[in-house]
Amino acid sequence: MKILIVDDFSTMRRIVKNLLRDLGFTNTAEADDGQTALPMLQSGDFDFLVTDWNMPGMQGIDLLKAVRADPNLKDLPVLMVTAEAKREQIVEAAQAGVNGYIVKPFTAGTLKEKIDKIFERIEGN
Amino acid sequence: MEAHDKLMAEVTIEQARNLLRCLESGDLGSAREAIDGLTQLREANLFLEVGKLTRQLHEALANFQLDSKIAGLAAQEIPDAKDRLNYVIETTENAANKTMDSVEACIPLSEGIEAQAEALSKDWKRLYRRELKPGEFRELASRVETFLKQVSGDSKQLNKQLHDVLVAQDYQDLTGQVIRRVITLVQDVEDNLVALIKMFGGSEEYQKAQTQKTKTKGVEGPVIDKNREDVLTNQDDVDDLLSSLGF
Repeated sequence: MKILIVDDFSTMRRIVKNLLRDLGFTNTAEADDGQTALPMLQSGDFDFLVTDWNMPGMQGIDLLKAVRADPNLKDLPVLMVTAEAKREQIVEAAQAGVNGYIVKPFTAGTLKEKIDKIFERIEGN
Repeated sequence: MEAHDKLMAEVTIEQARNLLRCLESGDLGSAREAIDGLTQLREANLFLEVGKLTRQLHEALANFQLDSKIAGLAAQEIPDAKDRLNYVIETTENAANKTMDSVEACIPLSEGIEAQAEALSKDWKRLYRRELKPGEFRELASRVETFLKQVSGDSKQLNKQLHDVLVAQDYQDLTGQVIRRVITLVQDVEDNLVALIKMFGGSEEYQKAQTQKTKTKGVEGPVIDKNREDVLTNQDDVDDLLSSLGF
């Protein structure tokens, strides 16, 4: 299981990386915005994407839309971890095809719960 | 002021009627006098307006002091505040990294202790059940001895890392002081802006804007205002919204 973590703050990437490692996901890579992340996703063999929304360059929502529009990436599970919590934004992310949505600040428990749920659903299909 | 205007209007109407009466009755002498009266009235009004303008000029000069204060804010204090806020970002980032350095150093130590303790306790139980051969007992005894030494050393390291985590929290005091100063500056800027708005006669618009509900489009980071109706405040609300959308 190879996971890409996208956030413009290195401390947040480090937190997510540590929490994922504790959940048994040791194969992770990092990018600081959508623009850097998209080519990594296109050329790498990632199985999962964790992304922030508010980033300079390409924002998380645009990265999500680009992933869904790419025939090779369209089924990649995407978990959004963001401080953006407006009702219309969550609806927008859902319509764009996000698989999970976590609002910051979040706990290790929430991250585990959402990841488990995403994989349960994928395995159920 | 209104009463004055009303009185002036009444006087003017009365003088105009008087002029009309004089003209209709053919009394041209009185009519000329009436016209002079009206002219005087207009001049009196003109003096009044000049008086008003003089007062406004005086006020504007007095307010010049406010302008020089704004110049100081723009030239010195706001750039200084930007430096201060950048310092907050740097300091909190350093503290977060220092804390995570320590945590990442602690994790393998505690994981090692856990793994060794579990392996030893399995063999310890075998010892109680008298399942150990004499050779195995000697080996277990030496492993226990090594483990105890190891735990003692690791605990010292854990302690050191925990103290580093503790000390790394000093950023809260430092950044708190800096942020408090920036808050004072923001208050100062607000007061000056409000004074400027009032000076240019925008009080009404200002009051209207105060009661308006702000709604920002697009990204805005964490929302602090808990009364905002367009924002969900916790993960449970987000989950509820998503499940109502079929998630």
